[in-house]
Amino acid sequence: MKAILAVMYREYKIRISSLTWLFYDLLMPFAYLLIFGIGFDRAFSTGIMLSGEFVTYNDFFLAGVLSMACFGIAINTSYGFFVDRDNGIFYEFLTYPMTRGQFLLGKITFNCATSLVQTLIAVLLGAWVLEIGIRWELLLFVLAAVVLGTSGWFFFLTIFALRIRRNDMFNTFINVAYFVLLFVSSLFYPIEPLPGWMQTVAYANPLTWHTDALRYFTIGLGDLSTIALELVGFVLFLLASFWLAVRSIQRLI
Amino acid sequence: MNPIAIDVKNLVKVYHKRGQPPVRALDGISFAVPRGQIFGLLGPNGAGKTTTLKILTTLLPATSGSAHILGFDVERQPFEVRKNICVVLQENAADLYLSLRDNLRTYGRFHGLDARETETRANHVTELFDLGEYRNQRLIDLSGGLKRRLQVAKVFMVDKQVVFLDEATTGMDAINKRTTIQAIKQEARKGRTIVLTTHILAEAEELCDSLVIVDRGRIAASGSVEDVKLIGFKFVHVTMMFRRLNPRTIAALRQFTPVSMETRNTSIEMTLKKESDVLKVLRAAKRDKNFVNFEVGGATLEDVFVELVRMPREESR
Repeated sequence: MKAILAVMYREYKIRISSLTWLFYDLLMPFAYLLIFGIGFDRAFSTGIMLSGEFVTYNDFFLAGVLSMACFGIAINTSYGFFVDRDNGIFYEFLTYPMTRGQFLLGKITFNCATSLVQTLIAVLLGAWVLEIGIRWELLLFVLAAVVLGTSGWFFFLTIFALRIRRNDMFNTFINVAYFVLLFVSSLFYPIEPLPGWMQTVAYANPLTWHTDALRYFTIGLGDLSTIALELVGFVLFLLASFWLAVRSIQRLI
Repeated sequence: MNPIAIDVKNLVKVYHKRGQPPVRALDGISFAVPRGQIFGLLGPNGAGKTTTLKILTTLLPATSGSAHILGFDVERQPFEVRKNICVVLQENAADLYLSLRDNLRTYGRFHGLDARETETRANHVTELFDLGEYRNQRLIDLSGGLKRRLQVAKVFMVDKQVVFLDEATTGMDAINKRTTIQAIKQEARKGRTIVLTTHILAEAEELCDSLVIVDRGRIAASGSVEDVKLIGFKFVHVTMMFRRLNPRTIAALRQFTPVSMETRNTSIEMTLKKESDVLKVLRAAKRDKNFVNFEVGGATLEDVFVELVRMPREESR
């Protein structure tokens, strides 16, 4: 436990060393909702037809923003491996009295805590300022899904951050992953109207599974049995990613 | 209690890179370090020192052979090993965007110290290594030497039984080097085992109780500093002073094929393999009208080191 707390303490020290990070970590999802969400909400003023009912774009987009925030935090944290490698401290960490798993768990625990704070800010301000119809009774499930999403994406991206040695190659990988995973998913728009091949890719995309679950827990949209299946899929994705991330860190040098 | 802190047996490490022939970085080295000793791991660049250190600090698996730290197998019990060691790696390692003090704080936390203890020890090492005036500065703003000083200072915050220092004094000025050497000696007196790799042989000679010289993945020599120096017992170290140096004299002295020869402002230092050459060298020096005086002494560790790593492999076994 001490080792995990030590990793969290270091993450905290690094985060508070920059106001930009503080803004990004805490307010980014709400800022996204406020600018991007309102823009689309006005453009599609009739709303979006989903499962036989109309929802405003802001209502629809809240889950997407939370899902994107989990992905964004995971990108930043996995990119931190490159910074630590450049600073030489990464290898020193590996000689500290902790297991590789504890090192990763410490990082993810801190980042999940950050995700939870930014989620609460986005949900509360979203309900208050943008009048999003939140299903408050499911708020705890929203928070659990955020923890799941942040962890899953962090472990997944860590595999690549540890295996790819070149910073520029990792940036390219992230850009491609961001483009494919975010735009071929249910994050920005519903999947149903998409062409067949795009639907197939989107349904196989863990980001869709995660976003759909968040959408159900935030505004109650979707079919519970499908959501349950998607959640099981995402948990398996998380476990496989964790296992591969630990293996990658063990084989690093 | 096991009197041996580090026990290495037939350690082999082969690096395989795609499209390249395998590189045998370690070729069956063995050594043992008793508790409380300062142990030197010496060798030229690429000899296998850092590979050995990486295996001992659980960063790298060995291809074959075994290594134990305080009885714990580095391969099978890496976590137990890490609980008992602290390491200064060759590369600078620091959180550049944190202050010097925060770097010490995070290090203390990682090694299980509570907040109060961390503060007390951070204050102590800050004072010991004369880092007080930089405590609130971010590392990115400090010089390379100061970063190195911090890196070494960190290991003196915690009471780990085995300390690995890879080229610890690289980049430090003379005063800090002295402070570091004193601190290392002090820690060894407390019973800590310290493993030192260095290029500065005078430093090894001053600090180490015992050492190994590694060359091309094998041990070229091992034992106490005095034992290793005995390898060169026939060597004679000659220092000659001149009012000014004459290139012709230097050329003449080179004819004696010394183990090493170094020219400074007005002096020439050379190590000769044969005692019988001393008089010939003296005669050659005296031919120079600027010759002032002449001193003769025993071989230094550096002379032995140079001679050992210069030998072809078969001879050095």
